[in-house]
Amino acid sequence: MYRVYFLLLSLLIFSGCMNPLVRVMPYEKEYLAQDKMKLSPLPERAEQEGHIFLIREASAGGESTFQGGCGCR
Amino acid sequence: MQIKYLFLLLSLVFFKVSLFASNIKDTMSVGFNTYVDNGDVQVYSPTLSLFKKVSHNWMLGFKMRIDAITAASITNGSGSGHVDVVTGASKKEGQLFDDVRYAPTLIATYDDGINTLSFGGYISEELDYSGKSLFANYVRQLNAQNTALGVGISQSFDKWKPIFNRALPTNKREEGKIDISINQLITPKFSIQGVYSYMKGTGFLASPYHYILQNDIAKFENYPESRVGQAYALKGVYMLGKDDAINASYRYYKDDWDITSHTINVEELHDYSRSFTSGLRVRYYTQSKSNFIKDIGTYTLNDKYYAVDYRMSAFDSFDVGVPFIYRMRKGDKVSASIDYYQTTNNDYIKHWYGVSHLSALYTTLTYEFGY
Repeated sequence: MYRVYFLLLSLLIFSGCMNPLVRVMPYEKEYLAQDKMKLSPLPERAEQEGHIFLIREASAGGESTFQGGCGCR
Repeated sequence: MQIKYLFLLLSLVFFKVSLFASNIKDTMSVGFNTYVDNGDVQVYSPTLSLFKKVSHNWMLGFKMRIDAITAASITNGSGSGHVDVVTGASKKEGQLFDDVRYAPTLIATYDDGINTLSFGGYISEELDYSGKSLFANYVRQLNAQNTALGVGISQSFDKWKPIFNRALPTNKREEGKIDISINQLITPKFSIQGVYSYMKGTGFLASPYHYILQNDIAKFENYPESRVGQAYALKGVYMLGKDDAINASYRYYKDDWDITSHTINVEELHDYSRSFTSGLRVRYYTQSKSNFIKDIGTYTLNDKYYAVDYRMSAFDSFDVGVPFIYRMRKGDKVSASIDYYQTTNNDYIKHWYGVSHLSALYTTLTYEFGY
């Protein structure tokens, strides 16, 4: 069911109903370019901890990045 | 008048070009990561990444990670043995580390400012396991770069090579993953991201070393040979003031082994100066047990599946960490982090590792620079 919602949302964004989503103009992106405003402010830590959590816990996913397999799992 | 219009037209064209210019540039980074836990596992990981622009829109990248692992004195259920980072490894005479994992990645990236396509291959070689993966990721910018839609796909073709002569039902482990993501800018100080992941694993999904030893039973672990999981994540970054930002995320995971989990991560970052940023991060994780794990000592010979790995049981974990970012001249950057990780008390951890819970300290240190 969640996948259906997700597809509907994607279709909505791909359709013509997109103008309201232009919320930030290019000259307003100064803050968003700062390190502290990034979704992953320390990419190396994200990679390291992603690997550790994959090894130490049974869950995965939810990251739009690739994590290769290893025998630790 | 005509010159004025021509100037306006040229301005618009150049503005569009600069707006959608490729973001790729030559960068290199070197790093050193560590992991130490109370199960006597220690991992030291030097890392290297090199990205080289080969044309206006194309870039090639190479990443290398080496994990040097020691795990000599682990209790390991009922005695030490030759195993890996999960179960512990016994050092061979003359060797500094028990196992060394080499994991190179090759990446090619196309970026025209609107479309970003990355694809590549990954290899992981260690004593008892070899991994090979292919991956591709496509991101499309929309709405004047306010919205980004991403699709990622990866497929691994891994093989077990147990270091003692054990015949596995299959030595293959293959895992496929599809990620769909949406990033949306909400205000100049607020952005969000949603990610959906679909994962399917097949083959030998247990560890070849974990075993069950009861009065009448001596069995290696045995799990179902297929696992399908899905994850839903929502993340957001909000600027609290000129110098502060809060980064929060929630992930829900479920799979067909009946494991469900919730993960909450909150991080506050503060700019102490134009060049230095630091803060505090806390993470909480909780998962339910799989539908085939049983209490220790209650397995019978009629059971189809056997599991003693705590990761198949219910437990919680906490993480507290401090990040550091130091920006240097010309865009060079040093970033570092130190984190403390701990699970709750767990009978399976006690049984296997001889400690009531696992606690770990892990660090990262990276120097990134353009060249």
